[in-house]
Amino acid sequence: MDSLWVAKTGLEAQQTRMAVVSQNLANVNTTGYKKSRAIFEDLLYQNVVQAGGLTSEQSQSPTGLNLGTGVRVVATDRQFSQGNLINNNNPLDIAIQGRGFFEILLPDGTLAYTRDGTFQLDPNGQLVTSSGYTLQPAITVPPGTQSVTIGVDGTISVLLPGSPDPLQIGTLQTTDFLNPAGLQARGQNLFLETVSSGPPQAGTPGLNGLGTLAQGAIETSNVNVVEELVNMIETQRAYEMNSKAIERTDEMLRYVTNNL
Amino acid sequence: MDRLVYVAMTGAKQAMLAQGLVANNLANSNTYGFRADLARFSESPVPGPGLPTRIDSVASGMGFDHSTGTLIATDRPLDVAVDGDGWIALQAADGNEAYTRSGAMNVDGLGLLRTGSGELVLGDNGPIAIPPFTQIMIGVDGTISVVPQGQGPETMAQAGRIKLVNPDRAQLLKRPDGLVQLADGGAAAADATVKLSSRFLEASNVNLGRSMIDMIELSRRFEIEVRMMRLADENASRAAELLRNS
Repeated sequence: MDSLWVAKTGLEAQQTRMAVVSQNLANVNTTGYKKSRAIFEDLLYQNVVQAGGLTSEQSQSPTGLNLGTGVRVVATDRQFSQGNLINNNNPLDIAIQGRGFFEILLPDGTLAYTRDGTFQLDPNGQLVTSSGYTLQPAITVPPGTQSVTIGVDGTISVLLPGSPDPLQIGTLQTTDFLNPAGLQARGQNLFLETVSSGPPQAGTPGLNGLGTLAQGAIETSNVNVVEELVNMIETQRAYEMNSKAIERTDEMLRYVTNNL
Repeated sequence: MDRLVYVAMTGAKQAMLAQGLVANNLANSNTYGFRADLARFSESPVPGPGLPTRIDSVASGMGFDHSTGTLIATDRPLDVAVDGDGWIALQAADGNEAYTRSGAMNVDGLGLLRTGSGELVLGDNGPIAIPPFTQIMIGVDGTISVVPQGQGPETMAQAGRIKLVNPDRAQLLKRPDGLVQLADGGAAAADATVKLSSRFLEASNVNLGRSMIDMIELSRRFEIEVRMMRLADENASRAAELLRNS
């Protein structure tokens, strides 16, 4: 009966991989989305015959018989490679070129991190994400502003009516993690800090290895559609093979019940 | 009943075991760095008095397939595949040194290099700690170099070297957790001739076509054994009938 259960773990793992691939494909146009992939690992082995066991006083079994019990998904590994930058000349769209995240304050007071730099203004003139969460440290654009300029190092200056000199209203900070792949995805393009990501390290864009900022640009997702389609084909074939294994084993068992 | 039925029963049971092994290979056909398990059937005469007419067919392991799987380009700097023979050394959950061909690595929150399933990757002197970096590169001989955080690309620093080994194939055994270790449980010496390909992962080396054929062959073998059990049953009932009539 073992092979039935082994093949079932195979079906489950391929199903999970298909979910990861579909999630990547569904988010191919999501700003700042980072693709993930499923990592598989073989399950525990049963030792039917111990390798190296003595078959007589002088001889030993050279390899033994190890029967595996299937496969499982150990991780969905997120890849933080850079997406393409698209210029759209919207002054409040900011893309990060290189490492780093924007820090966002959630309504419940916790901090989240994102690469999606499509900011808007709320009624108080504060910079907020498309979901309405405040950017940290908070930036308030004064009323009547003619234009906003964001430098590569995060310096924000505005031009007010009647004044030829730009007024600096604040500085954007970005945050980096030792292991961004360890961040927990929260949805809404947001990530949360975990033990495995390491603590957040805030800094000035362009310094200490943090990426620079590009005003008027957004970062596309880093999903490679062709790669995902190949993954999908591979997953589907593996799924079919595993279902064949179930079918075959079922046939064997049916043969027993029909013939004995 | 005739002893034939026991020989057939053993054969059927062993065919079913071997089918489990094939199913496991198929289940792991997308596991990075997986090595297909091999089995064979060998004859095992049943000892005892009388003529040596009964020979059981017993499945036994033949270790695993050492051929190299296809390399898949992933374009991720922390993915490495072993090019040709050789293994990446890591510290298994029980603290012993074990080996793998699956090189999807990560740097954890403390800066330690780990595999996708969480084991620490070993360098020449134990686990490898990576300083905060902006760029990372793994060379063909396993040397890890980083551009440390806050410094320009001109300051490439070496952060350690992945231990690569290439012990004799006959000494390698699969552990219950799927990693590979030396038969005597020791640590193999580092081998400078093993080459890594960075930004690649090695696919499972399970041959799907062959596994499908094996599966068909095993199920037919199983059916023949069951048929023999049925024949043994028929023989016995015929004999009983003869006795009843007389």
